[in-house]
Amino acid sequence: MTAILDNLYSQENYLISKKLLDATHLRHEALSNNLANVETPGFKRRDLPENFSVELRRAVDRDDFRRVKQLYPRSVEDRNAKPVRIDGNTVQLDEELLAMNRNALNYEYLSNSVGGTLKELTLAIKGRV
Amino acid sequence: MTMNLIPGVESTGSALSAEKIRLEIIAQNIANSNTTQDANGNVYKRKEVAFEEFIKMPERRVPGYVDENLYQGVKVVDVYDDQTPGRMIFNPGHPHANKDGMVEMPNVDVSREMIDLISASRAYEANLSVVKTSRRMAQQALAIGR
Repeated sequence: MTAILDNLYSQENYLISKKLLDATHLRHEALSNNLANVETPGFKRRDLPENFSVELRRAVDRDDFRRVKQLYPRSVEDRNAKPVRIDGNTVQLDEELLAMNRNALNYEYLSNSVGGTLKELTLAIKGRV
Repeated sequence: MTMNLIPGVESTGSALSAEKIRLEIIAQNIANSNTTQDANGNVYKRKEVAFEEFIKMPERRVPGYVDENLYQGVKVVDVYDDQTPGRMIFNPGHPHANKDGMVEMPNVDVSREMIDLISASRAYEANLSVVKTSRRMAQQALAIGR
């Protein structure tokens, strides 16, 4: 019985959106931690690793949705960021705020996407909006 | 993976309180820029705050379990005195003058304090805008499926 119900939630777009929603949530936490430490000497900025989206895309291209489920985003130290200040801090206020606003927009899109899937399911069950 | 409803709220909250402490210390320095004697009878020394990243120690270690809530922003570890000597001025009539008639002034440089004030209030504003973004994200998360 549960296996049948599980199928309700295993649409591919839903799975990918959910995973990306987790990633944007985590990225927001990392970026707000960066902004919190904008005045901390020697702080190194943290972000999602670039290979997360690469690996997600690879898994999606191969239709490997078990792999999509297994992928967990984690924030890591951004080694590409160069310190621009004497104290070694790598946070740049404007870039962090820009990245945060883009990320929040992605979050809005993804939460609409996840919510839309659930609404479609409700419509199918009830037969009306 | 544990997550907060409002993303990044710990970091931002800690930063707001840390920057507020910094602003208070700067205000104290400017207010005392001409104080030649404090409660202990010494000349006022400018105060400075030391920031450190706040990393929570994990309560338990579960293999394969990734706790991302360890990074919780910033904390003020110390408020310390800047020990550089102050400017000496000749003023024999001053009640705090030494036997040569010299008075040590506080080592507060008001223009430097003003620059610190600007950077601290910019950091405060940036974190306030993060609060708004986090709040909007939480509202969107609550509206999923509605």
